[in-house]
Amino acid sequence: MKVSYNWLKNLLKFNTTPKKLADILTMNFAETIVKSTGKRPILDVELGSNQVAWASGHLSLAREIGACLGKKFDFPQPIIKETKALTKNLLSLDIQTSNCRYYSARILQGIKIKESPQWLKERLIDCGIRPINNLVDAANYVMLETGQPLHVFDFDKINSEQKTIIVRQAKEKEKINALDGQDYILNKEMMVIADKKQPIALAGIKGGQGTAVNKQTKNIILESANFAGNNIRLTSKKLGLTTDASWRFEHNIPFELTAYALDRLAELIQKIAGGDILKGKLEKIKDVSGWKEEKVEIPIKWENWEKFLGWPIKKKQIIKNLSLLGFSFKERKEYLLVTPPKFRNDLKIKEDVMGEVARLEGIDEIVSFLPKEQLKLPVKNEFWIFREKIKDWLQGYGLEEIYNYSFLSEKDKEFLPAQWQEKMIEIENPTSALTKYLRPTFLVNFLKNVNYNFRFTDEIRFFEIGKIYSLKEESFVFGGVLAQKAQSSNQLFFQAKGIIEDLFHSFGIDRHDYIFKSLDKTRYSDLLKQGAAIYKGKDLIGVLGQPQDSFKKHYDCEGEIIYWEIELSPLFNLVNEEREFQPLPKYPAVIRDISLIIPQNILIDEVLRVFQKASPSFLEEVDLFDVYVGKNLPQGNKSLSFHLVFRSSDHTLENKEVDKEIEKIYKALKSIKAKIR
Amino acid sequence: MNLEQLEQKAKESIALVQDIQGLEKWRIQYLGRKSALSLFFNSLSKLSLQERKKQGEKANKIRKILTNLYTNKKNGLEKDVFESNKGSSSLLDITQPGDKKTKGHLHPLTLITRDIVASFEKMGFSIIEGPEIETEYYNFDALNIPADHPAREMWDTLWIKPKTKNQKSKMLLRTHTSPMQVRYMEKNQPPFRIIVPGRCFRYEATDASHEIQFYQIEGLMVGEDINLSNFKAIISEIIKDIFKHKVSVRFRPSFFPFVSPGVEVDIKQEIKGDQSNDKWLEIMGAGMVHPDLFKRVGYENNRWQGFAFGLGIERVAMIKYKINDIRLFFNPDIRFLEQF
Repeated sequence: MKVSYNWLKNLLKFNTTPKKLADILTMNFAETIVKSTGKRPILDVELGSNQVAWASGHLSLAREIGACLGKKFDFPQPIIKETKALTKNLLSLDIQTSNCRYYSARILQGIKIKESPQWLKERLIDCGIRPINNLVDAANYVMLETGQPLHVFDFDKINSEQKTIIVRQAKEKEKINALDGQDYILNKEMMVIADKKQPIALAGIKGGQGTAVNKQTKNIILESANFAGNNIRLTSKKLGLTTDASWRFEHNIPFELTAYALDRLAELIQKIAGGDILKGKLEKIKDVSGWKEEKVEIPIKWENWEKFLGWPIKKKQIIKNLSLLGFSFKERKEYLLVTPPKFRNDLKIKEDVMGEVARLEGIDEIVSFLPKEQLKLPVKNEFWIFREKIKDWLQGYGLEEIYNYSFLSEKDKEFLPAQWQEKMIEIENPTSALTKYLRPTFLVNFLKNVNYNFRFTDEIRFFEIGKIYSLKEESFVFGGVLAQKAQSSNQLFFQAKGIIEDLFHSFGIDRHDYIFKSLDKTRYSDLLKQGAAIYKGKDLIGVLGQPQDSFKKHYDCEGEIIYWEIELSPLFNLVNEEREFQPLPKYPAVIRDISLIIPQNILIDEVLRVFQKASPSFLEEVDLFDVYVGKNLPQGNKSLSFHLVFRSSDHTLENKEVDKEIEKIYKALKSIKAKIR
Repeated sequence: MNLEQLEQKAKESIALVQDIQGLEKWRIQYLGRKSALSLFFNSLSKLSLQERKKQGEKANKIRKILTNLYTNKKNGLEKDVFESNKGSSSLLDITQPGDKKTKGHLHPLTLITRDIVASFEKMGFSIIEGPEIETEYYNFDALNIPADHPAREMWDTLWIKPKTKNQKSKMLLRTHTSPMQVRYMEKNQPPFRIIVPGRCFRYEATDASHEIQFYQIEGLMVGEDINLSNFKAIISEIIKDIFKHKVSVRFRPSFFPFVSPGVEVDIKQEIKGDQSNDKWLEIMGAGMVHPDLFKRVGYENNRWQGFAFGLGIERVAMIKYKINDIRLFFNPDIRFLEQF
């Protein structure tokens, strides 16, 4: 909110410079900056949403600055000279809706409309409001002064002989042509000010064109009212129309302002536009409950202050601060009985009151003490630690950690296969088509990352730990993408698989805890051209493979790409880091190499199983060190070479014994059509 | 110091420089961005045109002298190193670069989060996590922000499209980590101290300082006597720990419906000899937990008190690494990632 430094200074009479004043307000009231300096300095005060109601005028701000500076400030009383003619003879009020809590009006006759005096125009301009004519300007000025929005109607433009101001809910599809020249179509939830024929203003938001003052205006009605904040907020939101008035009303301004601002406006208009103020004001109170007739008394024990704020504060100091802020109170032996000032609708509990005192003392100024708490170790969050460890490992494998957006675009969604689309979460109010859905997989983002980063590098190694989302749940996954511009024969696939296997191993997750299986019949077979699904028991927990060519083409990625994503919580449940020491072997190992040729359709897994089965007691380890397909081999065959490590736990193996084991293995291999080289 | 003295001092001290490292220190002191000479150049803009020209010429002359001193000294030192290596009779060419090692890099937000979390853990705070897709109740209502409350405007929300028309509770992308205050207290009795790091979302057009998604660390400490002064002490300690004592902290009043009183925490970087950068940056909203929340989770009346806060992680990362565009965090670019 832009405020005029000179105006405030004029009201409160202080010597503080604009910069210093901004600092004081920031530290004791609300964040404030000096917007412009010079002859007419302007401050920008960012009121908290609890402060708007009672500090959005220069008078109320002067009162709050006074509290910060230790000066008491009283609002000046308007002085009004009324004629003998009675207001109520010319106008009546009819309040039909409880959204209008209080309505008051006055009539002025014989005013002269013209330009406002320079000083008034300057103040409006300083506060960001364009001057129009002395009547409109006066209403705006008094709003800036008091925080109470006001309106001026042209009396003679109100329809019918016996003039009545009606405050009611709009009829469905009722129309109003507002002061901004726009037509607004209303509904029953919105409140209007009307005459007997039609709406003449959007209550609390904007006046209507039909009753606007102009050069011919002679007689006017002044309106000062109190409207229900939530109704104004709703209407303002629905119509997309926020004004200085609606902003203030939304925050439920105090009742005390209504009558005060009405008189102040009458006084000012008479001063700058002449005319007679008719005798008496019309007023109707609809919502009596809103009047805080009953006195709010908050008891605060003396010992509470130090217990809650944390530093010793003297009774005298508490009382001084409370009086500066306009509280009234009764001192008792054990406690203080505090009544917040009437205009403060935001103070309800003792913490609010103590907070106000702390604010005036300056939270930054007060002493700080570390708490006297038990020394207690924090509880370890194992899942968190697990994820951070994965990050460290992947960094060690030479991967860069990335963070992508949680969002996918409309286009991204449309390109995904139908069974993926069905489970996606849609944002009701996306900021654009780019943020309309939540990602159900990392793949789409990864392909975009590859496309973008291929501009700077030929090789990409990225990983990400984050959430994917489906209608059922949100779940943490760890994903990665390896990509290179040059094609290779499945090198990247085995690199990625190696990373995953080693990572699992380092968490104590063993080969019998999970299996790699074919992608077929999983939802991923639509995304991937080839690859492996990772299962824990019967549950699919992840996938590793090459994206479909159509995806690569769609996201404009050339070259070889391998991606994986694995759900973290099922994996976490497998983690077994309790390791036991294995005694070092007492007897030496015997190593034999073996090469064989087998049909390509036989899986290496199968060969390994044959080894284990053939030599269950002595074969300790099998290490595949070469795979060859190509020249010098019969069509449809591959050559595999292994190191076989034999060892016995109770004696040194003799060559003869090992030969026997090898014999058994050869025999078993023949059963799967393997030829020994 | 006037320019003549500066020149004299620079000459004296370069004579004492023995090696490349020492020379670099000398360069930073006399020719660097924060050097007296640079600051002098910066201050020229405040002078009249004529005076500026006069002083500018003088300073330029000194800069030229100092730059020459630096280049000569550097050439000399490098020659010394080269000569000493050349003289060695070993077949091992120690000037050949070492084997290239390819370790990856952790994301700056991971690094900063670890720093912050480590500081809080030292103070006994446990890490708790919560859902990114939240209910309207936990994100707003349970925090004293009912639908018709004007304070809702402070959190621009991305809503989830309901699955069915008559869905009772609306779902949303959490706009802060604060929903975990109520979720945690529903299941745990004080005393406790927790932090909740996590991804949050706002309905926001992205630009260099605004993002649709961001990270926050929520904090909550509740006990029988946890007070406002304790909050100040803990947060001051932790901020100094994170920034290695190179910042000032300030606490000022603020408003959030789920605390009373509300506090905002700003920090300012302290750069030696540089007065120009006196901007305070908001990094944390906080306050004393509103008793309504204790009531809502069924705690005994008037027994507990404590503080809560929400710390913006990107802000801290941007200050620490001098990153000027928040969008760099979520648009992976190898040239950015490799720097950490």
